[in-house]
Amino acid sequence: MSSAAEARFRLQAPNSRPRAITVIGLDAGGAEAVRRLAAGGWSHATFFTVAAPGQLERLDGSTIGLDEQVRAADLAVMVTSAEGRSQAAAEIGRVCSDRRVNTTTLIVGAIDASDEMLSRTLAQVRPWSLMLVLAADEQYITDMMTALRA
Amino acid sequence: MLRKEQNDQLTQTGPGTPMGDMFRCYWIPALLAAELPANDCPPVRVKLLSERLIAFRDTNGRHGLMDEFCAHRGVSLWFGRNEECGLRCPYHGWKYDVTGQCIDVPSEPTESGFSQKIKLKSYPLVERGGVLWAYMGPADRQPALPEWEFATVPASQSYMSKRLQEANWLQAMEGGIDSSHVSWLHRGDLNSDPLFKGAKGNQYNLSDARPVFEVVESPGGLYIGARRNAEEGKYYWRITQYVMPSFTMIAPRGTHTVHGHFWIPIDDEQCWAWSFDYRPDRELTAAEVSAMRDGKGIHVKVDGSYRPLANKDNDYLIDRVAQKLGKTFSGVEGIGMQDASLQESMGPIVDRTRENLVSTDNGIIMARHRLLRAVKAFREKGALPPGIDVAHQRVRSAAIVLPADQPFTEGAKDALVVQAAVAHASV
Repeated sequence: MSSAAEARFRLQAPNSRPRAITVIGLDAGGAEAVRRLAAGGWSHATFFTVAAPGQLERLDGSTIGLDEQVRAADLAVMVTSAEGRSQAAAEIGRVCSDRRVNTTTLIVGAIDASDEMLSRTLAQVRPWSLMLVLAADEQYITDMMTALRA
Repeated sequence: MLRKEQNDQLTQTGPGTPMGDMFRCYWIPALLAAELPANDCPPVRVKLLSERLIAFRDTNGRHGLMDEFCAHRGVSLWFGRNEECGLRCPYHGWKYDVTGQCIDVPSEPTESGFSQKIKLKSYPLVERGGVLWAYMGPADRQPALPEWEFATVPASQSYMSKRLQEANWLQAMEGGIDSSHVSWLHRGDLNSDPLFKGAKGNQYNLSDARPVFEVVESPGGLYIGARRNAEEGKYYWRITQYVMPSFTMIAPRGTHTVHGHFWIPIDDEQCWAWSFDYRPDRELTAAEVSAMRDGKGIHVKVDGSYRPLANKDNDYLIDRVAQKLGKTFSGVEGIGMQDASLQESMGPIVDRTRENLVSTDNGIIMARHRLLRAVKAFREKGALPPGIDVAHQRVRSAAIVLPADQPFTEGAKDALVVQAAVAHASV
């Protein structure tokens, strides 16, 4: 932390309000990761998997319209494995684009994936991701969410 | 944001601290070789990782780096006489060799062997690529000598400078991997700086002002890819290398020299910003070297103690007219000082509990994640941190056009590692 002399005259008033983060598992691997992540007890994040077109499924099994959920979000985080089954990124990304909500996609297990599978996954998520992260371990998602004050 | 204890852990590098212990696993740049230009030249004070040291070059050309203070009465050996294979304290004549061993105590009989009982803490100091590298860790864990490409090419192909930065190493280093600031802070320099202008890749930069970022873990650290639209179905990639704990290499531009940094803690509130430029395939031109000496590119004009001439005491010579006209975005001239001025303005150690990161900050978030993970593994299991293995050091940045669906780690696989005497992949 800054020295006492340096910190002495810094304002300590809050400088931000919480952001709402919507976390969506795109495929089976992503959904599993999202379920584990949700157990962490977050204040400003809500967690979903992909249901029918135009719908997201909460972890308790109930559903909500994709558009309605995105409208309430400041950031959409998509989580997927590298198995080439991330087609849902297009629909989610389109709604986020319409609603001017930024998207971040995390590909878990990318290091173990074949180049072909990773390419297929990238082709599905790249057009809809303003930030893409290929992390070696799932713990990174937790650290990222913490860093973003979720 | 980081929790306070995480911020403390990453920013404190003194002896016995977790991050300090990890930094002491690496060879780190300590001095420019030119700072000890001749045998028996004057010694140089060096503070590294919160330790005050003295460096000298003895009569036989051996380099020494040891405790700055004489074991007798605590006098600074900067006042010492460098003569006849040792550094002699001018107060009472105690003399030390490059290993810190006391070899003469004039007041004691030679036969007493008293001098053999006196030894200052010392560290290995070796020259490579125009830099004197120090290893400050335990002797039994001393790694192989550094093999960064800029330090292994002939001297005529490489240029190194250093400058004092009055801020903690981490906030300086984070600037080196924060690709999203370039389009703002340095936007005025792309077309004017002699070490950047004229590259075809600059046109991609200018025609697509909103790059998309991909952060990928590498064996030694991270690849930070910034992609922009290129020709139909292709992306223009600028791939920055980050190797732990504090090496960054910026993506090249055209046929210009390739550059990057080391950020080395002096103490917790200051660091050395080391800046290199090199070409693996040719000598630097006189014009390039002249521009670097003149503070262009990532280099900075400094005084005799390596403090930038533009510094916080003169408000970095900010030019509000140039700012207003858009000649420079912040009003501060030069890429290096544009970065340093803002990073120093954050305070000596920025309070990361109050920051509000956004998704484009994932490179910074990932670097912290990897550093914290490595510190933990090192402390709990003694695991060798990434970046020590010389294979992690034989890396390159790249600027390259690739098909839209290709992982850049695959498409630029060969371009991201050293290929002797072959130019970087660059656009």
